[in-house]
Amino acid sequence: MSTRADAWPAGGIQPHWTLTVVPSTGDESGRDLPLEDLDDSRLVGLCLGGRVDAFDLIVERHQRAVYQLCFRFVRRHEDAADLTQEVFLRAYRGLRRFRGDATLATWLYRIGVNACLNHVSARRAPETALDDAPPIPAAGDDPASSLVKTEQGARVRAAVARLPPKQRATLILRVYQGLSHREIASALGTTVGAVKANVFHALGNLKKLLAEEAIEKS
Amino acid sequence: MTHLSPGQIVDVADGCAAPDLTAHAAACESCRARVDSILDAVRLAAEDPRAEPSPLFWPQLAARIGDAVRRERAPAALWRPWVWRLAPLGAVAVLLIAVGTGSRLRTPAGPFSAPAAPDAAPAHASVAPAADHDPADDPSWLLVSVLSAEVSVEEAEASGVLPPPGSVDRALMQLDGAERVELAKILREELAAKTPVAPQGPGA
Repeated sequence: MSTRADAWPAGGIQPHWTLTVVPSTGDESGRDLPLEDLDDSRLVGLCLGGRVDAFDLIVERHQRAVYQLCFRFVRRHEDAADLTQEVFLRAYRGLRRFRGDATLATWLYRIGVNACLNHVSARRAPETALDDAPPIPAAGDDPASSLVKTEQGARVRAAVARLPPKQRATLILRVYQGLSHREIASALGTTVGAVKANVFHALGNLKKLLAEEAIEKS
Repeated sequence: MTHLSPGQIVDVADGCAAPDLTAHAAACESCRARVDSILDAVRLAAEDPRAEPSPLFWPQLAARIGDAVRRERAPAALWRPWVWRLAPLGAVAVLLIAVGTGSRLRTPAGPFSAPAAPDAAPAHASVAPAADHDPADDPSWLLVSVLSAEVSVEEAEASGVLPPPGSVDRALMQLDGAERVELAKILREELAAKTPVAPQGPGA
């Protein structure tokens, strides 16, 4: 919490200081809780009070989801790791702008989508440098069926990469990250109706691209 | 009834549409085909499995981000240079207090080379340097000299480490007779050293 000088009545004496209240880690009885027991909003408050270790926990909680999002966009492990770091750094720098009207995860997704779209548009030729290394087959998987799955996965990935940016982002958040339409709307700064329309068109285009690719292959 | 909009198709495919929309999709061949197409596309999209790095990757990534975040703090931590600025200022303060209280009086040979009086009071004896002590060899003195070399009086004053007005006067008033004599001797020598020597003419 902080007071702002412009919030004081005009003409009155305005303070030249800013009051920052650092939330404690204590519960209602005043007992200090371990950081692991605190929710994201409390951790954000602690970060703003100078507790970098609270941000470490935020990273620990959300790095997997952010990485998966980035990997869906760039499809290259090293780039996804770099982008994940960039997302958290951007979040750290802008933590004061996190108002808590969306969840921290949604806010991180918003930063992540922007970072990924910037990255993808800057590179312009991601499809030629893809790291489509097949995932390690699970124990007991038939090698032949694993190969088919791998090829099918690569086809889908290539088709998703050809979608328009907004449709691509919407599809990734909906199908792969499992966000609700409302969460996607919050992450992308749009309406729920627009998200549903984008999901519809993204899935339709994906199917069309896969069909075209199958025809070309045959 | 008109056909379902894209958003309504998605709602029906998600199973969260209003009952009348679901009923329409069941009855309308065109809308049902669109819903089926969406579901088929979702199934196709799901054929690309989730990328799952090694479990060892996550602690490494977290550590890497943690390092980057801690480096990121440097611009915000503008106070850090002031810590180094305050060190010499503190040293200056110690010097000024020492001089002000007259606990160390210089002799003509140097600032700290006065031999300790054998009968000096214990308090003075504890701070009086040995006769053969050369201040240049004292690491503390060297440290203070180095740290305070770049500190101006204005900086010291701005940081509030200068003694308050009148404190030096009060310290002088507390000197005993022998200390006052010694101080007067030092001041005379300092003044003599700084007075330019008049050129000596043939008739001088």
